[in-house]
Amino acid sequence: MKNVPPLLRRELNAYFASVLGYVALMFFLVVMGVTFAVVVRYLNSGPTQLTAMKILFSMFWVPSLFIVPAITTRLLAEEKRAGTLEMLMTAPVTDVEVVLAKYFGAVVLYTLMWALTGFYVLILKHFSGSGTMLDLGPIFSGYLGVIVIGQFFVAVGLLASSLTKSQVAAALISFALVFLMLIVPNWLTYLVPTGPLGRVFHAVSAFDQMEDFERGIVDARPLVLYLSGTVLALFITTRVVESRKWK
Amino acid sequence: MQPMIKVEELTKRFAGVTALNDVSFEVQRGEIVGFLGPNGAGKSTTMRILTGFIPASSGRVEVGGQDVFENSLVVRERVGYMPENNPLYTDMRVTEYLKFRARIKRLPRAERNERIPEVMESTGIKEVAHRIIGHLSKGYRQRVGLADALLAEPDLLILDEPTIGLDPVQIRQVRQLIKDLGKRHTILLSTHILPEVEMTCNRVIIIHRGRILASDTPDSLTRKLNAGGVIQVEVRGPGSEVQAALRAVEGVESIEAKVLADGFVQVNLTPKPGADPREKVYQVVAARGWTLRELTRARTTLEDIFVQITHEDDEAEEERREQRRSVRR
Repeated sequence: MKNVPPLLRRELNAYFASVLGYVALMFFLVVMGVTFAVVVRYLNSGPTQLTAMKILFSMFWVPSLFIVPAITTRLLAEEKRAGTLEMLMTAPVTDVEVVLAKYFGAVVLYTLMWALTGFYVLILKHFSGSGTMLDLGPIFSGYLGVIVIGQFFVAVGLLASSLTKSQVAAALISFALVFLMLIVPNWLTYLVPTGPLGRVFHAVSAFDQMEDFERGIVDARPLVLYLSGTVLALFITTRVVESRKWK
Repeated sequence: MQPMIKVEELTKRFAGVTALNDVSFEVQRGEIVGFLGPNGAGKSTTMRILTGFIPASSGRVEVGGQDVFENSLVVRERVGYMPENNPLYTDMRVTEYLKFRARIKRLPRAERNERIPEVMESTGIKEVAHRIIGHLSKGYRQRVGLADALLAEPDLLILDEPTIGLDPVQIRQVRQLIKDLGKRHTILLSTHILPEVEMTCNRVIIIHRGRILASDTPDSLTRKLNAGGVIQVEVRGPGSEVQAALRAVEGVESIEAKVLADGFVQVNLTPKPGADPREKVYQVVAARGWTLRELTRARTTLEDIFVQITHEDDEAEEERREQRRSVRR
């Protein structure tokens, strides 16, 4: 694993050497900034159960569905297309190191995006001084939720990127997979709200899980689900990268 | 001493296609070996196997005494490789790229700081050190690839088509660079350009359809195939006598003669296989007191040899196919 730090550094540099990193950040900040502004306006209009950060966290599916495919499809597909994978894999680095560095690079970018919304917390804190308390617990658990869920989809996006040389194809595969795992379970909870099947749908619905995280509930089950899902996706990705050796 | 590269009975099959068929060869330390063959002959496949990018279907491959599959990481540390088309991260600056490569090649910081300026100096890319690779000309990019291959002071350099796509001036520069590098490194380079091999290599391995057809120095390959080449003689003397005398020379298979307008007789001698009757021809002519103004052997170039060898192989292949067809019938 010694080679992960230099590889990771290269991955992070690559995001900001091209426009991709900036465009991804801009897209995210536009969506979140507009949402935040509207939410604050709305909350000022009268008493409500909601908090600004809660509504912001419930927007988590936008970066997962749109930004994660955008920042992951390039990772392996482009290396394959340009042939740079050969340069990389004939250096004394292992396939696992390369996969991990690419995964962590995208996770760092994703986390950085969310970290920027920390300014909203500061703004709320600054302007909510009179009597109201800003409850930091649910804010922390909310951040934990968006990152745990998001990092899994990063791993899924990386897997999609390993499957093809074409970035567009990888983006579509990745979008389809995230859609199937993020949006569809939520719809199924409406179709089958109860019963054993309904319980399964609720358990895997990221929207249900985020509701808990937003409320300050850190349930071990989604943590285990997403972290083991990540391990599985990264494992398959590594095998796909290695598959050039069995062809 | 142990050879730098030892390949034994290497076979590589891709889905349905045999890219390499029972290939064996060795490269000694300090040699510059040219891998010569038409496109699709199996040059790149061999190099990819040597660098551990893909494994062989069967056979043994050793670099510096280490098995390429079992000790892949050790081998990769010792080999500097420039793949075909020299893929680089085009979004990086030259020094940034070399720093990155030096890090993943596990050069300690002190060595990195020393080696990077050194390789930039020896490949002549100092003036583009801070330029973005994607903005460089092909010649410069090629040199960046070479600089990268040299970073870890590898025992062995493997260069796949190092001069492809360069303009003539750049080609000359890169060739000179390779020659210089050959003083300190063992080099295996592939090319389908013949003069390149003649100019830069100590030894040529001709590969065609996944098999090795010849392996020798460029000179001795030329010599070997020359034996049997036509000898041209021009003598001033009576036509029929000249013919008779030369036909009688030991080692001559057949002759063709023609009287030229200026009174000289032009004779084309075909020697017997392996024979070189030039000395005898001179003696015979001198003994008769005739004037000799030309005695040359049509020099075969490496190009002729290459065409000849691969052509023979194609014919043999055709015959084999024909046989198989008739057997089936």
